[in-house]
Formats: sequence, C-alpha cells, structure tokens
Amino acid sequence: MLFKKEWTESVRSYKILWIPVVFILLGITQPVTSYYFADIIGQFGGLPEGAVMDIPIPTGAEVITATLGQFGQIGFLVLVLAYMGIVAKEKNHGTQILVLVKPVSYTNYLTAKWAHLLCISLGSYAMGYIAAVYYTFLLIEKMVIADLIYGGIIYGIWIAFVMTVILCLSALLNSTAFVAFAGLGLTVVLSLLSSLTPDLMTLSPAMLTSHSQNLYQTGQVGSGFGLNLAFTLVLIIGILIGTIYLFHKKEIAQHTT
Amino acid sequence: MELIETRSLSKRFGQHIAVDGVNLSIKEGVCTALLGPNGAGKTTTLNLLTGLITPSTGTIEFDQSYQGDRRQYIGYLPQYPKFYEWMTGEEFVIFAGELAGLTSKQAKQRTKEMLDLVGLNDNSKKKIAGYSGGMKQRLGIAQALVHEPKLVILDEPVSALDPLGRKEVLEMMKRLKEHTSILFSTHVLHDAEQVSDDIFIMKDGKVVIEGSLTHLQNTYQKPTFFIEAEDKLEGWVETIKGQDWIDQYSLDGKNLTLTVDNVEEARKRILKDPMFQELEIYKFEVAKTSLEDLFMKVTES
Amino acid sequence: MNEAVNALQELNWGLIAPILLLQFILMIVALFDCLKNENLNGPKWLWILVILFINTLGPIVYFIFGRGNR
Ligand SMILES: Nc1ncnc2c1ncn2[C@@H]1O[C@H](COP(=O)(O)OP(=O)(O)O)[C@@H](O)[C@H]1O
Ligand SMILES: [Mg+2]
Repeated sequence: MLFKKEWTESVRSYKILWIPVVFILLGITQPVTSYYFADIIGQFGGLPEGAVMDIPIPTGAEVITATLGQFGQIGFLVLVLAYMGIVAKEKNHGTQILVLVKPVSYTNYLTAKWAHLLCISLGSYAMGYIAAVYYTFLLIEKMVIADLIYGGIIYGIWIAFVMTVILCLSALLNSTAFVAFAGLGLTVVLSLLSSLTPDLMTLSPAMLTSHSQNLYQTGQVGSGFGLNLAFTLVLIIGILIGTIYLFHKKEIAQHTT
Repeated sequence: MELIETRSLSKRFGQHIAVDGVNLSIKEGVCTALLGPNGAGKTTTLNLLTGLITPSTGTIEFDQSYQGDRRQYIGYLPQYPKFYEWMTGEEFVIFAGELAGLTSKQAKQRTKEMLDLVGLNDNSKKKIAGYSGGMKQRLGIAQALVHEPKLVILDEPVSALDPLGRKEVLEMMKRLKEHTSILFSTHVLHDAEQVSDDIFIMKDGKVVIEGSLTHLQNTYQKPTFFIEAEDKLEGWVETIKGQDWIDQYSLDGKNLTLTVDNVEEARKRILKDPMFQELEIYKFEVAKTSLEDLFMKVTES
Repeated sequence: MNEAVNALQELNWGLIAPILLLQFILMIVALFDCLKNENLNGPKWLWILVILFINTLGPIVYFIFGRGNR
C-alpha cells in the first residue's frame, strides 16, 4: 500500500504526467534541432564553400549522446526538484508519524519510495529515449538497435544511481533545498571528474555515461565496463541499505512544545 | 501482567532530560490519564511508548500475551496529527488500516464503521485539505482505532478544541472505554477527572503523583477548616495536635489549615473545645480541598 | 532563400506537431490545476500568466514551485 500511495500521490500532483512529458520533449527536441541546424546551415552555408566542411551533419550517435546529455542536465534537474522532498517533506510536515506508528517496517517505507522513484525516473527516461531514437531514425540515420538498447540500459543504471542518492539525502537531511543542492552537486562533480580524469574514475557511476557513448559510436563498451557496472550496482544497494539503517536510527518524532 | 509497563524510563535530549525515570503501569480495560503542565514530558513519554523515539535508559514492556511488534496493538493520535492532505478522509483511514495489516476489504469495512463513530461520514469523500481542525481531530481518532488496537494512545485529544468539541470527544472516549484501553494526556485536570480511572501526574519529566481517580479523591479531597484568629494559634494547636480526628494541619502564625476525615465530628470537637472558645476568631471556614488544589500545588512549585 | 526555409518548415510540420501538442498538454494541465488549486505559493494570477506566457518552462516551474505542497 505504501507503493500504491506513492503512485496516487504522483498522479494527484500530476508528476506522473509532466515528468514524462518533459523527457519526451527533450528527446524529440534534440534530434529535431540537430536536423534543422544542419539543414539550415547547409542551405545558408551553400555560399562560402569551405564553411560546409566545418559543420558536419551530426551522426546518430552524436545526437543520441547529446540527448542523454540533456537528460543528464535538465532531466536530472527536474527529477531532483520534483522528488527532493520525497522523505524530507513528510518528515518536516510530520505526516510520516501516522505511517510509522503503524506496524510498518522502516525498510518498507523507504523501499516503496525508492521503487517509486525508479519507476518514475526510468519510465520517463525510457519514453524520452524512445522518442529520441525514433526521431533520430527518421531524421538523421538508422543505428544498431541492440547497441541502442544496451546503451539505454547502461545510462538507465546511472539514473538509478542518482535517484538512490536523492532518496538517501532526502531521508537523512531536513532541508529540501539542501537535498537538491547536494544531489545535483554530487552528480555534477562525479560527471566532471569522470570526464576530466577518466583514468582515476574507472569505477565512478558517472563513467557509465561514457560507456554508453562508446557503445553508440563504436559498438563496444570501453574497458573496465564490467567492474564499473558491478561497482555501481553494489553502490546503489549499499546506499539503500545504509539509508535504511541511518533512517532507523534517526528519531522521527518532532519537537512540539 | 499490565498491558504496558515501563521501568525507570528516561529520555534525554542533549542536556535536557525530558522524561526522567518514569514507571508507568497501564492496565488493560482502563482509561488512564497522563496529566501535567506543558513541557512536563507527556508527549515524549507517549512517543517512547509508541516506539517513535527510543529511550535513553529504562525499559518498556508490553503484555506477553500480545506477541511481536507492539505497534500493531497500539493506535496513536499525535498532539498535532498531520495527514496526507491530498487524500480524502476515507482514503486515509483505509490506508491506515491497510498499513496496520488489515486486508483491503476489512479496511473498507472498518473505515466505514469508524467514520460513522466519529461522525465524519458526510465528509468522507472530501479532501482532508478542506477539513476543519475538529474534523481532523476526529479523523485522527478514526485512523487510530481502525485496526482495533488493544491500547489507544491519545496525545492531548481535546486541547485544541472548543468547549463543544471537547465535550463531544470526551463523550466519545467514554463510549470507547467499553471496548478498549485508553491512555491519554492532558494538561487540564477536569478532562482527566471526567473520563479516566487511573491518573499519573507528571512534572518536569517525573511522575509526582499516581493512583486511581477514586484513590486520589479519597486521599486528597478532604474536608478542610480554615481558621484565622487575632492571637497566635500555636498554643491551642499544641493541645489538639495528634488527636485522631485530625488528618493533617498546617499552621502559619495566625492561620491554621486543618484537614480532617469527618466534618461533623471535627466541627463539634473544635467548637466545644473550651480553649478554642477563648480565642478571638476572625474566620472560621469549612471547605473541601479539590484535586485542583493538589494539581496546582504540584505543578506550580 | 526565405522561400527555401519556408518550404523546409512546411515540409516538416508533422515533426513539430508532437512538440507543440506536448507543450499544449503541459500548459492545459497546469492551467487546469492552477485554477482549481486553493493552496498556491504566491498569487494565482501571476501563476496563470507564467503558465500561459512562458513556453514549456512556465508550466514546469508551476508544477515544481507553484503547487502548495502536501
Ligand atoms: N525533540 C526534542 N528535542 C529537544 N527537546 C525536546 C524535544 N522534544 C521535547 N523536548 C523538551 O522536552 C520537554 C518535554 O516536552 P514534551 O514531552 O513535549 O512535553 P508535554 O507534551 O508534556 O507538553 C520540553 O521541555 C521540551 O522542550
Ligand atoms: Mg505535548
């Protein structure tokens, strides 16, 4: 019922509608603008001969990569802002008290939220991704479906990781603003470090994005992928367990006098 | 075995000891009041019993015959209940019932009964966001009762209500007493006197007085004489003190307060006492100490 | 030159339509909720303007910050 309650809440707050819509919009916009951009430049650039060479029409792999980039920025921003309060808000308002005095395990309380977060984020992402792939096929070029599926799943695991971190922060911190700040900050830092010093960050969950890129471009994941994947999955489970443990130790009754 | 028994239960918040060595024993089938001024530690004690916070020291024992997680036998109404306001009243009580382990069919059935009991049937399909304070309070009682708990814990159930709402809820509690044990907190003695059988008075985290209502009334509601005279009363008091019709006395120069067991006898004795007749009396008053006096004395000092 | 661009846009109208449709859905739902909702952060008329005139972002910002939480 806790899982059902999260759904009803997301339905009543329209999150179930607008978050997928945002992802689909992002997914469509990227291929369409790349296409127009190339096309318009092609039209205008017809005059100075040399200029055409400077602006190549993007490949499908580049477009999909750019779309994932959008998901990783605007998409995360939206998800984090929408769900930063998933635990913290209930804690601050005191609504969780009436839930947790019932014989409900803290594990269920948090995993229901976690499962819901993953459903919404991965579902929205999948829809946006499919839209992006469809438009890329239509406008740019056809690509290897299997690579797209694997790449999509790999990127999805990165999203799952970020969502797990958000749940953790929301459960342990009181300020939703700080949850968003810390969550996005951590994501940005991980991504930056992973792209700046990939050699040092082979285990970082953010490296999954570059593995999915490799897959689109070359049909191969980069080296160290297996370990990277395994480590990320372990991290996700580890963070979840740690969150449940720490949340259990935290006291939930508020100060009322 | 009592339903719930605590032994030297304490809770410390940083430097501050909110609950200090409390021994409670809550009997089954009885309505128990936890009485005390604001800040006495009532809410903290109840939170300890429900398991929302963990004691710093001390133990809580629930009746052995009820096995497992004690939360399943407890219904709780917090001092300021907060609901998911996007739910309707009915949805919330069903949700609460399902959380407590009822099947969805049972939960629906019980919800209907509970909303009937608290008189929210007409508003059961409305969003909680549109409920008044009194309606939320009654909804809180409904959700606390939905899984037929052995013990209902109500934290200041009537404090936020107007006199009419107060009366309604107290009446409801009297009816409830027939089916289940109740533990409730209040800072108003009158509420406790109306419905409770057992009373624990708390002050600064400690239980200062405890006992059944009748016991407290017998012990502390006594006929009392207030006597004031021109001269010092010491001499006269010396002659009567220790006689068995006197329960207690307190002398403050020219003011004497005498608590006795039997007014009639005491009055006769005093008025017929030759030494008393010699005294120049200003004031001779017979009254009853009430629990209120006791409560004031306990809580103000 | 302009004709060429026009022709291009005409050709791909079908591509743009889903985008416009989604933006429209977002706006309508946000507007519907805003009009009904009595528990907003900030004045209702301001949110209505935001939803109507800031494309895509307006409704999203409304959903995130405008709806009174709870
Ligand atoms: N979470 C908390 N952190 C720190 N102090 C608290 C907390 N909860 C209660 N207190 C303190 O403990 C004392 C008892 O509070 P409480 O149990 O709420 O009293 P009551 O319910 O009898 O009015 C108060 O002095 C209050 O300030
Ligand atoms: Mg209190």
